[in-house]
Amino acid sequence: MSKHPAWRDTIIAVVVLIIVLVIPLLHRSPAFEDFIIRLSAMALFATSLNLLVGNTGMVSFGHGMFYGFGAYAFALTMQMTELSLPVAAVIAVVATAFAALCVGAICVRLSTEYFAFITLAVQMLFYSIIISWQSLTGGDQGLRGGIPRREFFGFELESQLHLYQFCAIVGVLGLLALRHISVSPFGQTLRMIRDNEDRASFLGIVLWRARLSAFTIAGAFAGLGGVLAALFVSGAYPEFADWPNSGQAIFAVMLGGIHSFLGPVVGGMILLALNDLVTRYTEYHGLILGIVILIFAVGLRRGVLDFIKLIRLGRAR
Amino acid sequence: MDLDALGACLTTPACVVTQTTSGLIVGMLLFLVAAGVTLIFGVLKIVNFAHGTFYMLGGYVAYTVLGVTDSYTLAVLAGALAMAVFGVLFERALISRVYNSDVLMQLLICYAVVLIFDDVVKIVWGPEFHAMGMPAAFQVPPFFIAGGVVPPFYAVLIGIAALIAIILGLGLSLTRFGKTVRAAAINPQMVSALGINTTLLFAIVFAIGGGLAGMAGALAAPVRSLSPGMGFSILIESFIVTVIGGMGSILGALVAALLIGMVRGFGTIGFPQFTDGLIYIMMIAILLLRPQGLFGRAS
Amino acid sequence: MNLEIRNLTKAFGGVRAIDDVSLTFPSRSLSAVIGPNGAGKSTFFNLISGAFRADAGQVLLDDEDVGGLSKAERMHRGIGRAFQVASCFPTMTVAENLMASVTAHIGQWGNVSRRFPPPGVRERADEMMELVGLTQVAGVEAAILSHGDQKLLDIAIALALEPKVLLLDEPTAGMGPEERWRMIERVRSLWERQSLTLVFIEHDMDIVFQVANTIRVLCYGRVLAEGTPDEIRNNQAVIDAYLGTEAHAE
Repeated sequence: MSKHPAWRDTIIAVVVLIIVLVIPLLHRSPAFEDFIIRLSAMALFATSLNLLVGNTGMVSFGHGMFYGFGAYAFALTMQMTELSLPVAAVIAVVATAFAALCVGAICVRLSTEYFAFITLAVQMLFYSIIISWQSLTGGDQGLRGGIPRREFFGFELESQLHLYQFCAIVGVLGLLALRHISVSPFGQTLRMIRDNEDRASFLGIVLWRARLSAFTIAGAFAGLGGVLAALFVSGAYPEFADWPNSGQAIFAVMLGGIHSFLGPVVGGMILLALNDLVTRYTEYHGLILGIVILIFAVGLRRGVLDFIKLIRLGRAR
Repeated sequence: MDLDALGACLTTPACVVTQTTSGLIVGMLLFLVAAGVTLIFGVLKIVNFAHGTFYMLGGYVAYTVLGVTDSYTLAVLAGALAMAVFGVLFERALISRVYNSDVLMQLLICYAVVLIFDDVVKIVWGPEFHAMGMPAAFQVPPFFIAGGVVPPFYAVLIGIAALIAIILGLGLSLTRFGKTVRAAAINPQMVSALGINTTLLFAIVFAIGGGLAGMAGALAAPVRSLSPGMGFSILIESFIVTVIGGMGSILGALVAALLIGMVRGFGTIGFPQFTDGLIYIMMIAILLLRPQGLFGRAS
Repeated sequence: MNLEIRNLTKAFGGVRAIDDVSLTFPSRSLSAVIGPNGAGKSTFFNLISGAFRADAGQVLLDDEDVGGLSKAERMHRGIGRAFQVASCFPTMTVAENLMASVTAHIGQWGNVSRRFPPPGVRERADEMMELVGLTQVAGVEAAILSHGDQKLLDIAIALALEPKVLLLDEPTAGMGPEERWRMIERVRSLWERQSLTLVFIEHDMDIVFQVANTIRVLCYGRVLAEGTPDEIRNNQAVIDAYLGTEAHAE
């Protein structure tokens, strides 16, 4: 990781961003634009989860709660106040980070398998609060009435093109920030904890503090993903915080590869593309998706990018 | 929240009987499913996320067999047997390939199976809800205990489930096989060191787990409707049972399942909107105060 | 740095694993701790390094009691240790292992504002590799290192923390005869170059008598004898209780 100069990631991010922004100028395709918008939310969601799963070895089954929290916090702020959109988004992310801090303070001291279950339980509790607090959240119908998309800096998110640009920019910047964290000394600390927590604590690392920080950061970025999702659907739904959604993020991470930074993004792409493609041809997309997942899981036994990495290493040796 | 209603119910014998009955039904069916989850986890250290699928398929198989043979007994047996076989196939064909992999890889495979069979059910039985209907033998007037209505079928259901719980408990504590299973749950290396055929052991454990879940699905079919995806919610609840009772503990699963059944039975009166929330709060509290669960061993 | 142990006691379920042990390891000494299996040697190390809390007694570093401090705080005061089973970070390369350890040691482990490694860390890690002789395998993942190299890496990680006192729990465990001597030579040269107070647990008597300046013998949690190799060699209690049983066992 330290073999590459610091600006390399930034350049890659800028190039990708430019390409993504140029495409609709050449050719408009609503389906493609929708895909990128949804991918930007999914990529932040899954990559932030991988900060826990892949980097730190903390398997959270409840990451969806922060995705949902971000979506609801943002949508409610926009509906109930006159604040501008970026301010509301920042408020939503900060609120999600705080929620993650509180949940993490309870959860991170538990060992691996119990950690997985308690995050699942907290998420389900959060989900049932959304369902039962109808006056605020709209209950199982979701938060309705739309999100007022107030113009800012010349962005009018009513327009699909502007929404596309906004989501692409936020998505790429968010990923860049996560990348920055993952290659920082703190990111390395998380890897030490994953590899050997006893030795790490001998070296003076305060395990719970490092884990709690990771959990909070991951929650905040999942919340940012939720903000984008809320913009896309112009509302917020309890399904965002339900466990199948957390499952989606886990599968994106697993499909793409937990030991590659971009693995979850690739996994998210595969998952979304499969969904889109298969639903076009058959109503039984679960069947097809399941078979594809089985082929990956039993055939490769690791994520796509991890598999490619392994092959390349094998050749190099 | 409606604490007055809850108070009123608790002081009325008829209401207590009715709610206890429905709580017992929920609890005992849940126990049958969760017993398999906890058994599989205890012996194989695998969290079987596909267990809800066994339950669902058991219900559908029973539905079809009942339609053909018109015998509810046969239908239940067929559901259990079919899922025992399915459990073994699932273990041999898929799970056995990833014993040494990441937990998440196992999860991924289970999820794929869940997706596939939810759609298989849609293709074979259709996406709509099916009602199996009460077996003819039980279409008789309910009896009353202290003024509370108890449909005979409910009583029989609770009885059957209790019987199975007893057989399972005795089987695990008295038979040689049961002792092996419990030893494996404590120390897997030791069992293979003793020369016990773990491949066979694992397959049998999956057969028992699958059979119990299939039977639960078949037993539940007359009182709950059948639909694709019905395995989802019972799966989550069996995890909660497993965590609360202690992973690997059958007795713990029984107690926790009944506890959840009762919370459901009476929670619907006191907290109609927040029954689920109560159960999750219970699980969180247990995890914080006693992570190994009520009857689990501290690691 | 002078390490003094006073009346250290630790019991597990009623059995005294370490029973009223008082020992002094003078500054810059090279000492071996020996004793039959179950004598309490590893427990003794765990108590000094703070992995276990003692029931009674003191651990003095240059006359300052560190017995109440956590293992991380003791490490900061200068107690380093390597483990009987090499303890490193398996998915990282040797260089990354050491850079990460140095980063943690200089208190930069929570830093998110820059890239890993922080300035100066790479150089320190190179020094450590040079010191223990792992420069050749700098880019190799720890998980696929040879057993001996993993033990060296473990020691190098301990050294990254700039210890004044270094505790090595069986540095030659699981090695063949030749490899053992190579290992112990490296340990000795480390001790010379880094002016450490070095204490090691060892089963190979040839190594113990040839390398250590002083030897402490533990038996059933108590100090059976201490002295120079010659004194220990001729100590009747040691011959009876320790060399007798162990020699027969091997």
